Amino acid sequence: MKAVTYRGPSNMRVVDKPEPRIEHPDDIVLRVTRTAICGSDLHLYHGLVPDTRVGTTFGHEFAGVVEEVGPGVASLSRGDRVVVPFNIACGTCYYCVRGLTSICDNSNCSCSMGGGAFGFSHTTGGYEGGQAEYARVPFADVGPMKIPDDMSEEDVLFLSDILPTGYQAAEMGSIKQGETVCVFGAGPVGLMAMQSAWLMGAGRVIAVDRLDYRLEFAARWARTETINYEEAGGMDVLGRLREITDGRGPDVCIDAVGCEASGSALQKILGLGMLQAGTATALAWAIQAVRRGGNVVMIGVYGPPWNLIPVGDIMNKGLTLRGAQCNVKRYMPHLLEHIRAGRLDPKAIISHRFPLEDGPEAYRIFAQKSDECIKCVLLPRAA
Amino acid sequence: MVYDPLHERHSQLLESRPTLPGAVDGNPLNRPGVPHESKPPARVGAAYWTSPDRQTSAEKPLVGQGRALTPVYSTANPPRGLSGVVRRFAYTIPDYRARRWMLLLLADRIDVLEHNPRALIKLLAGVAAVGVGVYAVRGLRDS
Repeated sequence: MKAVTYRGPSNMRVVDKPEPRIEHPDDIVLRVTRTAICGSDLHLYHGLVPDTRVGTTFGHEFAGVVEEVGPGVASLSRGDRVVVPFNIACGTCYYCVRGLTSICDNSNCSCSMGGGAFGFSHTTGGYEGGQAEYARVPFADVGPMKIPDDMSEEDVLFLSDILPTGYQAAEMGSIKQGETVCVFGAGPVGLMAMQSAWLMGAGRVIAVDRLDYRLEFAARWARTETINYEEAGGMDVLGRLREITDGRGPDVCIDAVGCEASGSALQKILGLGMLQAGTATALAWAIQAVRRGGNVVMIGVYGPPWNLIPVGDIMNKGLTLRGAQCNVKRYMPHLLEHIRAGRLDPKAIISHRFPLEDGPEAYRIFAQKSDECIKCVLLPRAA
Repeated sequence: MVYDPLHERHSQLLESRPTLPGAVDGNPLNRPGVPHESKPPARVGAAYWTSPDRQTSAEKPLVGQGRALTPVYSTANPPRGLSGVVRRFAYTIPDYRARRWMLLLLADRIDVLEHNPRALIKLLAGVAAVGVGVYAVRGLRDS
């Protein structure tokens, strides 16, 4: 089968690989019909995530048709269309029974940092991802959600990751009616967080980014105010945020950027030299911008455990800081209803579609944010 | 407040914003992730087991220090070559140590060179050139 595989930093290649097989009674093999590139895939693409091995197939946002079922699978049959959460969860461990499927105890023996995930290096268990024609899906009775007959794969594809992640981010901000929410990063996850903030009663939603085309999309699709931080003078975006919030700062700040933030020369130098795991600029700004007593949410992905962030401010300002990989499964039914009711339209952010064979080109365009790219979807030949 | 063109644009955007359908999730109790930890046992999906069956693949993955082999695991991309040696050593170090992650990043770079002979040759040529240069400078200094 064809698969988009990692060859080294900024180097992807489509290769022929053996099709996956059933390795556990509750596995399925999925024929992938739609798969997307995530912003966090770029951290892998740029070589920033430890234990990313040459030959790995990336991709943790995918949907498809069940091709083969293991002997223990009870809830799925060959031919079912499903969308798959990026988390691999057993459903019955200490964390899963508390709804925390992103930190399952039974799917990642590599380290204690988190549960298993598709296509995200051996740090998260080394499972092959979905940017291929077929994918092995463990614990198939737990994760995959059947796609309703009246909906397409693209209608629900982003239930695999970015929509629940953005929604959970807004939720972790504990947004109250009328509050001001600032989202750093107008990429796909940030956009979902912005729309979700409105659903939770935000009074104002502000998007911060450096790319005008993304800010314009955020203003149009997510109905936000916008600040281009490069126009504002880089770090002076913090002063601008205070000015437009009566001098206090937003009530909730969400870092939807992660470890490849731009905006600070110091952070960039340290990140390039691998002296810290990428740059933590967006998180630093979120902490510094939020009002005293406010909430900071980090859903941007970071690497190994050291970064330059003003942690003292978290204590001195009495902040609530929350972060988590999304526990996708608990959000899927609720968000499916929002999609069906037209309150959320995640597939509207798809800006580019490519055949799977053009995966490397898709990565290049997505990484460089060229051609006004917001979200890339790959279409395997078997789709 | 100082006049600010960005501020003006904000006001225009707010005025042009269509009427919202409503904050349907305004009540926190309507939000699926509230409370953050559900009361156990909140069984997930259609899981019907008390504890899952164990995978019995012949090949086993590396297991982190302090971790145990999980019931389900990946057998893809096993560690090989020099990068595999470095990875095996890194896995003996607890994951709260920065050096574990630094060694894994080093292994990743070695892995790329192992799979890219041209890059390896260039690197070796570069190292050799530096070595010859140092040797030459020492020779000139000593003569």
